Amino acid sequence: MSAVPSALRAPRVLQRMMKRNHGLLVAVATFVAVVLLLSLKLPNGFSYYDLTSTANSATALALAAIGETIVIIAGGLDLSAGAVISLANCLIAAHVTATPASMALWTFLGLSAGAAVGAFNGFLIVFLRLQPVIVTLATMFIVEGLTLLILEQPGGAVPPDYSAALTGDAIAGALPMSAVFLAAAIAIWFLMRATPFGTYLYAAGSDREAARAKGVPVRTVQFAVYVLAGVFYAAAGVFLTAQTGSGDPTVGPPMLLPIFVAVVLGGTSFAGGRGGCVGTVFGALTLMLIVNLLLVFNVPTYYASTVEGALLIAAVLSGSLGRGAPVWNHVGALRLKWAAWRDTGAPSAPRKATSPKATTARAVRDDDTLPAGGLARWVTRNAPTLRFVAPAYGALLLILVFTALLFGARTTPSTYFNSLLVLSSFMAVLALGQGAVVISGGLDLSMPAVITFAGILLTAWADASNSAALWAVPAVVVVGGLIGALNGLGIVLFGMFPLIMTLAMDGVIAGFSLVYSNGTPSGVAPPAIAWLMTGRLWGMTPVVFAFALFVAAATILVSHTAYGRRLKAVGASRTAAFFSGVPVDATLVRTYALSGGCSAIVGVMLVGFSGQAFNDMGEPYLLPAIAVVVIGGTLMTGGRGHFLGLLGGALLLTALTTVLTGLLLPVAMKSVIFGLVIVLAVLGLKERSA
Amino acid sequence: MTMSGIMKSVGLASLLAAGALTATAADAADKKYKVFLSMSYVGNDWQAEAQNMVTAMAKANSDKVDLQIQVSGPVAQKQIQQINAMVQAGANAIIVYPISPTALNPAIKNACDHGVVVFAYDSSVTEPCAYNVVTDQTKLATLSAEWVAKAMNHKGNLIFVTGVPGTSVDTDRNKAAHAVFAKYPDIKIVAEPNGMWSQAVARKGLTEAMATRKWEDIQGVWGATACIQSWSLEIESGLKTLIPCGAEGTNGMRVMMLPKGAAEGAGGTYVPMGAPGVSLESHPGAGALALKLALDVLEGKKVDKLTTMPLDVVTNDNIKLCKEGSFEELKGGCNTFDPGLVPSGWFSVIYNPATPEVGFKAALVGQPD
Repeated sequence: MSAVPSALRAPRVLQRMMKRNHGLLVAVATFVAVVLLLSLKLPNGFSYYDLTSTANSATALALAAIGETIVIIAGGLDLSAGAVISLANCLIAAHVTATPASMALWTFLGLSAGAAVGAFNGFLIVFLRLQPVIVTLATMFIVEGLTLLILEQPGGAVPPDYSAALTGDAIAGALPMSAVFLAAAIAIWFLMRATPFGTYLYAAGSDREAARAKGVPVRTVQFAVYVLAGVFYAAAGVFLTAQTGSGDPTVGPPMLLPIFVAVVLGGTSFAGGRGGCVGTVFGALTLMLIVNLLLVFNVPTYYASTVEGALLIAAVLSGSLGRGAPVWNHVGALRLKWAAWRDTGAPSAPRKATSPKATTARAVRDDDTLPAGGLARWVTRNAPTLRFVAPAYGALLLILVFTALLFGARTTPSTYFNSLLVLSSFMAVLALGQGAVVISGGLDLSMPAVITFAGILLTAWADASNSAALWAVPAVVVVGGLIGALNGLGIVLFGMFPLIMTLAMDGVIAGFSLVYSNGTPSGVAPPAIAWLMTGRLWGMTPVVFAFALFVAAATILVSHTAYGRRLKAVGASRTAAFFSGVPVDATLVRTYALSGGCSAIVGVMLVGFSGQAFNDMGEPYLLPAIAVVVIGGTLMTGGRGHFLGLLGGALLLTALTTVLTGLLLPVAMKSVIFGLVIVLAVLGLKERSA
Repeated sequence: MTMSGIMKSVGLASLLAAGALTATAADAADKKYKVFLSMSYVGNDWQAEAQNMVTAMAKANSDKVDLQIQVSGPVAQKQIQQINAMVQAGANAIIVYPISPTALNPAIKNACDHGVVVFAYDSSVTEPCAYNVVTDQTKLATLSAEWVAKAMNHKGNLIFVTGVPGTSVDTDRNKAAHAVFAKYPDIKIVAEPNGMWSQAVARKGLTEAMATRKWEDIQGVWGATACIQSWSLEIESGLKTLIPCGAEGTNGMRVMMLPKGAAEGAGGTYVPMGAPGVSLESHPGAGALALKLALDVLEGKKVDKLTTMPLDVVTNDNIKLCKEGSFEELKGGCNTFDPGLVPSGWFSVIYNPATPEVGFKAALVGQPD
């Protein structure tokens, strides 16, 4: 280094800075590009009015997204963000009066509520070592329920002074208060980053074990992160309260996905350890300006979600097409293959060693150190799997006993179990797809749109026709698989994060559904499909028998095939898998294709179940599918999972919602109980080390 | 289909480019009112029909209005941003399907301050400067609950299906219906599954509720999106006499209410079978009427701040199949469409004496009568 002439050093420093702040630079560049594009199209250019209104609408989103960014940098994930926004919003709107003391008190209590939810999350995740996704999902249900108990419908009034103080102009005509808030939030972030806590945050997020070995108080840092994030979500709720002058229990939860988008547009990596909050603020601003773009270019309503999805992919891609992008490795590999083929006249056949290796591994397991007895031997051999599969069945058994005690007198076991199995069948099929993706270390958020699209295509292609269904059902499943494969290709070729690739794909496909159906899906279910889901065969709904076959096939696929072993290897460590000769990329693409295919099958099943297709029919299934996967013992970080665990999760969740529907409780209470039971159910899944 | 989908998205780039041209063309042809429709959500049949009806109304007034429709997605901040952008784009009037009755107030107030006429439809907004065109949800729930209570002879077990929790519409409806059923001590609400105003979710909720009950023990079902699915489940369970139900407004429900043989069915349970029901729904034509009234306001006419949509109570006594569904025919009292023409989840609430521009074609393809 010292040999480098000083004249060359400056650019290198600049280069390093550029590289270190790559994400932030892309976020700012995207924002500037959007503003320029808008300025070109707007007759009056981008005025102070545009700036203030954008800053105002983006502030709540940006504050919440800052909280989420901190959690993600620390290597976590928080699904309760949207719910906490509404909690703070309703808590304040329902109680605040016009005195300054009351305003200060309720603002403080609103922020404290956020901190309390964060502490609850942090306690379960850090000290009880539960997985962040399932903990924060359960918290989301609990907090949504509590919010409804505070304010059952939109209402409440906030004194005008409160709104004026938080959302007016700081300097009339020059600086809106919202910009001051954003600047303050960024200042807090910079201060924090300058302290040891800031360093620990990144250290804990990039490599937890290494950080611990270096003496970083990882647990304390992670706990603090969730509390801090809760405060930021609540701050978003406070600003929202001032901005809207009222409370609305439904306003927060839909913000969750936009929060993720703002984080990604801001250049923060979902892998943890990289990113920052300044980019997030620009991400939130960009997201708001997309609304203006759609208006200025007069994008038709049914195309809006497709365009948003495409813009999201474009924005993320533009930041990742540098020299290091995986796509160039693929191009390089192809070139090598081409050269080899040209030289030898035929492609070489590498890596045929995997299957014999697998058989030897199996032979070794059959050794004499295991107990001699059949059952004891089986238990010992499968102990690790049993440990993560059993909790779901244990909880299921408890709920079944509870159901029998409560409702046993007024129903017959055959009716109950038939309903349970029919409703679980949707969840189990989705759980195979989502479960495989999660085992591979990813997440598939495109499920709702694929389910809907498949349903719409089926009723359009095979309207009340069994003969058309013969080709339409396979065709629809292939379409779902292709959409999934596209997800996989985006992830493999361009290094996109699964969460963002599949979220964007969801938007794109949702737009296709609207355009294809022109808003109103046509046709009814083919009679055979309707019979499968609602008819009778030997006293049961026919799908129950198909379900049994599916369970057998899925169990074999996940646990007893080369694909299943590769899947777990890829999820445990892509690098290790690659050097062990596992075709990592092909396995990933296949996994996402499997997930798309499973979603499409559920689309077909739902059409049979409700008689026709609806544009909103896939939406309710995403979060339950993720919950099933985690309750079933799958590790969110990848590498571990068994289909029988997923099946247990599907049965447990269905039995739980069934018993809650049977009880005559308000929706709010049901939501709280649902969340609490999930937490209790996964307590058995405690990880050995956090 | 994926191919045509891909083709469509490729076509989008050219569409964006074309947008640049049309905008300048519209500037030249002035004298027209610039009206924006801000929708929060487009993903269901009701919204699709509402959008079609507004489009038809704009076409019927194409000499006066230049309509542009945008969707913000179900996030309040984005709709706020959208309304602000519409004001900035020089809107004369903005028609809003509000994501929240309260959260948009500052944006609406700001629009009014800029001289923009703001109409909210279906759900009302509380900002006083806005005009509201709404369905009286309390009346809707009271009328339908009274009908169901009477059909049950004021006694027996009732399944009460709820909608999207936390919304004013759901809370208003549930309160009103609960008040009605509470009047009759012999009516017992035995389950409250959550239907989320979605057929697929209602079907799931009803299946869960019936996992621990028998249809033989149920005498009535009430709630939005409750009827098609409960009747279908009853048929599948082998129940001989269908249970009285209120109060969705889908064509599927109304076809099931038609006497046997009144029309050729379209498969499954989308068949006339004389099912006992009362059909009522929020009027999807509220947006079209809002546009018409907004033009009145812009032309200096006096318009009430609150307009209530008509509530036509359709029961087995007055259910009537339409031939073509023209406004004149609807005026004559027909209220149901042939199963071959529209899907079962399509809403057949179309008629409103105040909007002769809007008939069956308007709801289906956005063409005025």
